[in-house]
Amino acid sequence: MLRRNTRLRREYLYRKSLEGKERQHYEKKRRLREALDEGKPIPTELRNEELALRREIDLEDKDSAVPRSLIDDEYAGAALREPKILLTTSRNPSAPLTQFVKELKVVFPNSQRMNRGGQVISEIVESCRSHDITDLVLVHEHRGQPDGLIVCHLPFGPTAYFGLLNVVTRHDIKDRKAMGKMSEAYPHLILDNFTTKTGERTANIVKHLFPVPKPDSKRIITFANRDDYISFRHHVYEKHGGPKSLDLKEVGPRFELRLYQIKRGTVDQAEAQNEFVLRPYMNTAKKQKSLGA
Amino acid sequence: MAMDLDEPLDAEKGEAALRRLRDADPALYLSPSADLAAAAREASKHLYASLVPFSPAQPPPLSNLLAGPAFDAEQIWSQIELLSRPLIPHLRRQLRRLEQQPPSQPPPRTESKSADAEEKSEEEEDGEGDEELEELDDVDDEEESEEEEKEELGLEGEAGNEVEDEFFKIKDLDKFMVKGEEAEYGGGAKQGKKKKKTENWMEEDSDSEDEEYLDEDEEDDDEHLDLEDFDDEEEEEEGAVGDIMYKDFFQEADDQKVRKKGGSKKVQFKDEPDKPEVDDKNDDGNDEQGLSTHEKARLKMHAKIEEMEKANLEPSTWTMQGEVNASSRPKNSALEVDLDFEHNVRPAPVITEEVTASLEEMIKKRIIEGHFDDVEKPSPLQFKSPKEQKDLDESKSKKGLAELYEDDYAQKAGLAPAPLSISDELKNEAKTLFKRICLKLDALSHFHFAPKPVIEDMSIQANVPALAMEEIAPVAVSDAAMLAPEEIFEGKGDVKEEAELTQAERKRRRANKKRRYAGSHKERPAKMQKD
Repeated sequence: MLRRNTRLRREYLYRKSLEGKERQHYEKKRRLREALDEGKPIPTELRNEELALRREIDLEDKDSAVPRSLIDDEYAGAALREPKILLTTSRNPSAPLTQFVKELKVVFPNSQRMNRGGQVISEIVESCRSHDITDLVLVHEHRGQPDGLIVCHLPFGPTAYFGLLNVVTRHDIKDRKAMGKMSEAYPHLILDNFTTKTGERTANIVKHLFPVPKPDSKRIITFANRDDYISFRHHVYEKHGGPKSLDLKEVGPRFELRLYQIKRGTVDQAEAQNEFVLRPYMNTAKKQKSLGA
Repeated sequence: MAMDLDEPLDAEKGEAALRRLRDADPALYLSPSADLAAAAREASKHLYASLVPFSPAQPPPLSNLLAGPAFDAEQIWSQIELLSRPLIPHLRRQLRRLEQQPPSQPPPRTESKSADAEEKSEEEEDGEGDEELEELDDVDDEEESEEEEKEELGLEGEAGNEVEDEFFKIKDLDKFMVKGEEAEYGGGAKQGKKKKKTENWMEEDSDSEDEEYLDEDEEDDDEHLDLEDFDDEEEEEEGAVGDIMYKDFFQEADDQKVRKKGGSKKVQFKDEPDKPEVDDKNDDGNDEQGLSTHEKARLKMHAKIEEMEKANLEPSTWTMQGEVNASSRPKNSALEVDLDFEHNVRPAPVITEEVTASLEEMIKKRIIEGHFDDVEKPSPLQFKSPKEQKDLDESKSKKGLAELYEDDYAQKAGLAPAPLSISDELKNEAKTLFKRICLKLDALSHFHFAPKPVIEDMSIQANVPALAMEEIAPVAVSDAAMLAPEEIFEGKGDVKEEAELTQAERKRRRANKKRRYAGSHKERPAKMQKD
């Protein structure tokens, strides 16, 4: 294990050093491609290596057209296998929190719930890595009201910290017949108004909690950003006749997420670098929008 | 005594002069006349004397008006001004009050009207004179009534005491003496008038001055008329003094007379409180009018100042103080107050039906468009070509290093083709297989398919005659003799003998032999396979 970690660390540093060169190479190809598309003369400094660059451009495909940043490398191969999520709580959870976590277990496909007990976070992370779990989700509470959600991608991070607001669970609604049953199909995702870089990063983190759905799936999970508050909604829809006749039925919990931190490491690494931190105490915090328009 | 006697005489003369001026025809004023001028001077003297006790400055700058023939009209007027200027505002105030109280004192109204009339044109001055004359008549009537009262008092005295009969006679004697004196003094006045006439006739330019003088006299008359009541009072006082002198002569009668005089004094006392009342009213009015605006402003300022001081001195409520602890705040006070403070953080959205509806609308739109943000499945095809698997040849190399180097050099120089690699062999195999498949497909799909003709390789057989014919040569000759030289010589290429060969040629010949041997060994399994 130690040897593997050492090797991974050296690989990481090597690839990070290569990132600059790859970025330069990509810029050259991009400029050449633009010149060719617009019919302009090729830049002078690129004429010597024009042929080689052309050849590379011809051989490009979807994956290699745009070089991916090392920061997002955690999710490079995420789509190759389905996500495997571990749900757990803070210590000594109350009954409402336990109920909420149960509902989340159904919301996230391929997830399993674990009682926290007296386990330490470092132990939890270690066991998740050994069992090839892709995401660790921790839910926190305050006097029975859920108020925190931590999403940690394994094996290398990143970790997103959310605050929870306006939580309404299925247990709060007493009329069960009207509510109906919850679907367990792989859902379609709708991510609305995540336009900034931090927004895209957040959308990527949230997106990879869910597997690839079937095209005809009837289940919809929505993350809509409004003024940096992400509204989570869970719907099931039916189409009867034409395209205009669409019945939306809201199922399951609804809440608002407030992102306040993104760390580049896992949840047990306190020394990891902060990619984003919410700073509400500044005078410009009112008009700043970090996730979207 | 002389003084006392003189004053009444002067007063009588003045009154007589006023009567003359009043009774004179208005036409007489159009031309200068010494008599009228003398009468005007006397009248002005009289009026001036009546005004002196009321001047605010005591003693006045001039106790008597110097209106002798030596003085001009301007000089007389300036003297009158010295006395009248301070009096005018005082008189105006009294007039205003009298106006405010019309029913109690109707005569002052007429006076004010006359004053207003003065402002009119000169033509109307005559009318004004008539009004003034009427007023004078009224005043005379009042005086007559007063005189009647005095006579009644005298009669009562006589009826009361027998001794007064003698006193009564004495009074009559005094009256006769006064009348006589008046007649004498009246003659003096006439002489003065004559002298004035001469002067006036000499001075032709004084016409305009006379006119002005007349106007001024009229004004003086008005003022004096206002004060005639006061003159009456003064006369009463003088009478009292005279009576006292009589008391010295008749002690017994003095007691009774004193009682009656006391009654008259009482009347005076009744008059006196009126004056202070008037003064007080004036003062009050002055205070209210002049001070009221100033005092009101001052009072307002004081009130404001006191309020501000109270506001500053009183302890402020806890909401207006700076930092307030729970201990210094009254109980449950924060619950009833709406405190305003700024949040830097945008508050959490309140989920209402509108918010939910907008979200659902967006979701429906996305579903209809089929625009989802799902994780996309990666392409199953690998974008990397598989690695080549090179088979390791564990058999011993059949070629020596020299041959290997030779082959490499030959390849580089282009003398020999590159050796076939495994991939090349696979390619050739693939080509042959592809050809067979195409051939089979062609056979299946063509109706007029013609298979490729099998062309047998031509084999050249040596040592076979072309024709088996009868030969010209004799039968006894051997076949060897009949062959051509080429047929006899089986060319192996060994033209030279071993002794003639060089070292290199010898080695080459041996190597070739080895190769033939190896080739023959290789050929054997092939032959066997062929068989």
